[in-house]
Amino acid sequence: MSDASQYVFILQYLFTILIMSMFVNLGIALYGVLARPSLIKKIIALTILSDTANTFAIIVGYRMWPSPESPVLPPVLTNLTASKLRIFKFAASAVDPLPQALVLTAIVIGLAVTLFLVFLTLQAYRLYGTTDVRKIAKLRG
Amino acid sequence: MSPELVVFAVLALLGLVSVIATYLAVIERDLVKAILFSAIQSTAYAFIYYLLMAPDIVLVYIPVAVGLYPAIVLFLIKKTERYEAE
Amino acid sequence: MRGRERIAIAISIVIFVLLLSLVLTAGGLGYILPPPKIRDIPLIYLIRSYWPFSKYFTVMSPEVVTSIVWDFRGLDTLFETVVFYLAIIASIAVMRGIFSSKKEVDLAKLGMSPIVKTVTKITIGMILAVAASIALHGHLTPGGGFQGGATAAVVSLVMLVVFSKYYLETHGVSKNSMLVIRSLGLLGVGLTAFIVVIIGLLNGVNAYVFQNQPKIVADVGMPVTIGGALISGTLWFFNLFEMFAVAAGFTIIFLLLAIPEKEVLEQLKKEVAGE
Repeated sequence: MSDASQYVFILQYLFTILIMSMFVNLGIALYGVLARPSLIKKIIALTILSDTANTFAIIVGYRMWPSPESPVLPPVLTNLTASKLRIFKFAASAVDPLPQALVLTAIVIGLAVTLFLVFLTLQAYRLYGTTDVRKIAKLRG
Repeated sequence: MSPELVVFAVLALLGLVSVIATYLAVIERDLVKAILFSAIQSTAYAFIYYLLMAPDIVLVYIPVAVGLYPAIVLFLIKKTERYEAE
Repeated sequence: MRGRERIAIAISIVIFVLLLSLVLTAGGLGYILPPPKIRDIPLIYLIRSYWPFSKYFTVMSPEVVTSIVWDFRGLDTLFETVVFYLAIIASIAVMRGIFSSKKEVDLAKLGMSPIVKTVTKITIGMILAVAASIALHGHLTPGGGFQGGATAAVVSLVMLVVFSKYYLETHGVSKNSMLVIRSLGLLGVGLTAFIVVIIGLLNGVNAYVFQNQPKIVADVGMPVTIGGALISGTLWFFNLFEMFAVAAGFTIIFLLLAIPEKEVLEQLKKEVAGE
């Protein structure tokens, strides 16, 4: 293999490791929500699930570096007296800001749902005396 | 060792750390330790967001997932049960 | 149950295998890399977010994510605020009828040791300063209303743990006062969304809700700089009111969760026995 294609192969391998680990996180968190019997463990696994989904959205917004020494920029313009050419150059090397704005909304909504679930779990413990879903299913109201 | 290679290598390493922390958090039966592993996984995610050039998300994620959220679940554990049944 | 656990594990493994094979075939064993160009709509947002050469097509804020959240996609943020508000109202509704007791306690004996209390008094001022800086500079650097509000909520959590709940309540931080602050914050957000409409009505011009800078068909807008400092129109006011609303909302949740369980059960039993 030539040097350039070997370098590209290593980059592809590292990026694939990141994406595969996100998928495995998704699978483990799904197992945690479905199979573990405690309500609190289900809440913890649900937050891991929603965080992993948000990370997928941000990975979609990334882009390749223009060259191996000049990195991509975050979507913040740093010069308030810029000319048109500088603004166009900034737009040509910045990452995608739209998934970040949507993930901001998604984090807040996930937090709101989790807060309400915590209060519901408290109320269920006060009424039934346990947080084990198998015992609650046996009580039958 | 170009900067691009270093950034991608650190991203891959953080992905693996988050997989280990997630597995330990879901398997663990002592719920206080499970929250600790979940906070470690959130820290790895915050670093991933920083390396993917999303500074707004880092500033939301660190107070919410490492500070406020474990505190709320710790209040919940104090009022209900600490150990998960078999 | 062993049977149900095995079915759950099997389903999760099947989903994992399906996703794995989908990703590999889409890339063909290793062609997975980020794309070299971004798409068209984000390119327009990146260019139009700070474009001082034409005042009708810009937001005049160098921070692109804040300008998307509060100007280009302002309605999404409106509904996110509504969802957060409903979650807090639902949590208060679950805990209705439960009040924290007003007993006479010696505040110096509650909480942690004097060393921890002194250090906390110093660091709380610093955390509040950092939270205000993050919220009020949200249109220039990464930050914004929700980020500053979440950081300021850590202050109330630390004070609840180090000093005690009774210390906070004797100094005016109770559930009702935090509800007032939260309602004022949300009222401020609503008013800022309508302010260009009001300015337009006073001048006899039609304007849009959530409008920030003047447009071709509606030539009124908020000022871009005040006294030489860039405030980007409505973005600064949105960040300020959102910070107060979010910090007060989280403080309500912590105050409700910190009521000791013995008192809660006593009040619930009295309520059941009194019927």
